[in-house]
Amino acid sequence: MAKVEKPIPETNTWTEPFWDATREGKLVIQKCVDCDQKIFYPRLICPSCFSQNIEWIEASGKGTVYTYTVVVNNAPSAFLDDMPYVVAVVRLDEGVQMLSNIVECDPASVHCDMPVKVAFKSINDEYTLPVFKPL
Amino acid sequence: MSLKGKAAIIGIGEVPSGKFPERACIVSAVESAVMAVKEKKKKREDIDTIIPTGTVYNAQYNNEMVTGRIVEELGLSGVVKNNVSVFSGGSSSSTMLKVAAGLVNIGAAKYILCLHSEKLATGLSLQGGIDLFSTAGIAKEWEVPFGQHYSSVAALATQRYKYETGTTDEQLAAVCVSNRKWAELNPNAMFRKPLSIDEVMESKMLSTPLRSKMSNMLADGGSAFVVTSPERAAEHTDKPVYLLGSGSRATHFVYSQEPDLTRFAFADAAKDAFKEANLTPQDIDVMEIYDSYPVYQLIGFEESGFCKRGEGGQLFSEGKTWPGGKYPVTTNGGMLSQGHTGGGGGVALLVEAARQLMGKAGERQVKDASFAAYTSTGGTYFDSHVTILGTVVPD
Ligand SMILES: [Zn+2]
Repeated sequence: MAKVEKPIPETNTWTEPFWDATREGKLVIQKCVDCDQKIFYPRLICPSCFSQNIEWIEASGKGTVYTYTVVVNNAPSAFLDDMPYVVAVVRLDEGVQMLSNIVECDPASVHCDMPVKVAFKSINDEYTLPVFKPL
Repeated sequence: MSLKGKAAIIGIGEVPSGKFPERACIVSAVESAVMAVKEKKKKREDIDTIIPTGTVYNAQYNNEMVTGRIVEELGLSGVVKNNVSVFSGGSSSSTMLKVAAGLVNIGAAKYILCLHSEKLATGLSLQGGIDLFSTAGIAKEWEVPFGQHYSSVAALATQRYKYETGTTDEQLAAVCVSNRKWAELNPNAMFRKPLSIDEVMESKMLSTPLRSKMSNMLADGGSAFVVTSPERAAEHTDKPVYLLGSGSRATHFVYSQEPDLTRFAFADAAKDAFKEANLTPQDIDVMEIYDSYPVYQLIGFEESGFCKRGEGGQLFSEGKTWPGGKYPVTTNGGMLSQGHTGGGGGVALLVEAARQLMGKAGERQVKDASFAAYTSTGGTYFDSHVTILGTVVPD
């Protein structure tokens, strides 16, 4: 079977600063200037107060594993060679949640509420994913 | 304003779910529609509105249903005033019923045919199915690049739910066994062979802690129901199935944005639905709880108020949810055993709720069933719906 290319993020104009930052090894999220709400994923308006007055801030990159799974069979075509890999929902210290992968550890050692910090994994020259490793 | 008692289901139809390579998708639609329409005493020409729900195995077929193919196939050209698709994935059963009830209640339609047809088992390859469901409803910017797909989606909720409630893998397996007990009695189910907890526990691990026999199987299928006003319903049947209450919340699009993957919003949805119906969970005779994976069935059952959080696993393990048990749950076998027909998994549950209340459930009939609750959810569990149906309208 021909190797299937990894899916790259289907980005939007207003989310490009996020992907520009990950390429530079930085994790950024949005903050509402009017109500201070931290926002991820990048939005057009503040989900808390409807404001369009939103700025980018660098996140601490630290958080915990809210939940996770080790994919060992029946992955999508582009990920068959990666098995076993860990998919996790990470809660950043800033209070936002994001889907990611847990890397640089034995998948069997991952657990709920495990402290993690951000790392970066490039898919190609253009896109780098924020992933997480044990703190 | 409430729709309580303002609409009724008077006819249901369903074709067997499973692998039917020779059965064209439109055949499932037409056969289900004919069964549902024939149940009422009037002519098919009374149907003035058709609500097909979405089909995902093939975009062309879906477009055909959106643009009136079923109107023509049923010989209702120029008779049907509106053919309008209502689609919210697995919760389409609930949203179709709600839209239909609203239309008949305001007099915009007299008899509405709601229907679903799908060909997910034989219209796609296995890997095609995995790949389709690694993108359908999964955010292409924020989740697909990380290898998210339907097994990992379900596994994420299962892992956290186990962590917070202490529910065991064996108890999750017991949900699959319970559904199979019902499916053994359901001629339309895809899987009818007895299933044991050991078989589930020995099945292939997909995404920890989710195993293959804890996963639904994609199926071909079709089902339909006819909705009308209570006044018209009385002309056709002495057992109309009334809509008594409904509650719902849409909580996320991107799965990882859901604030509580162990609850979703079924508690709020149930609160609204029971309040509207003026009933309590103790009044319910049959619970058609949306499954697709065992964790969601436990969450739907517990959050709707049928038992305390974290206690569902034990009830399923003890067989209390089996045929003859105190809590008849998901009595068609659910998507785990009847088969997952896309949005049709939820339609099949609604049709089963109506079937039980009409007293037409054959070997698996729950005795004297007067009130049924059913739950549904679409996409990656983006919404939570609870609906109450009954053979009488309580005060
Ligand atoms: Zn704000």
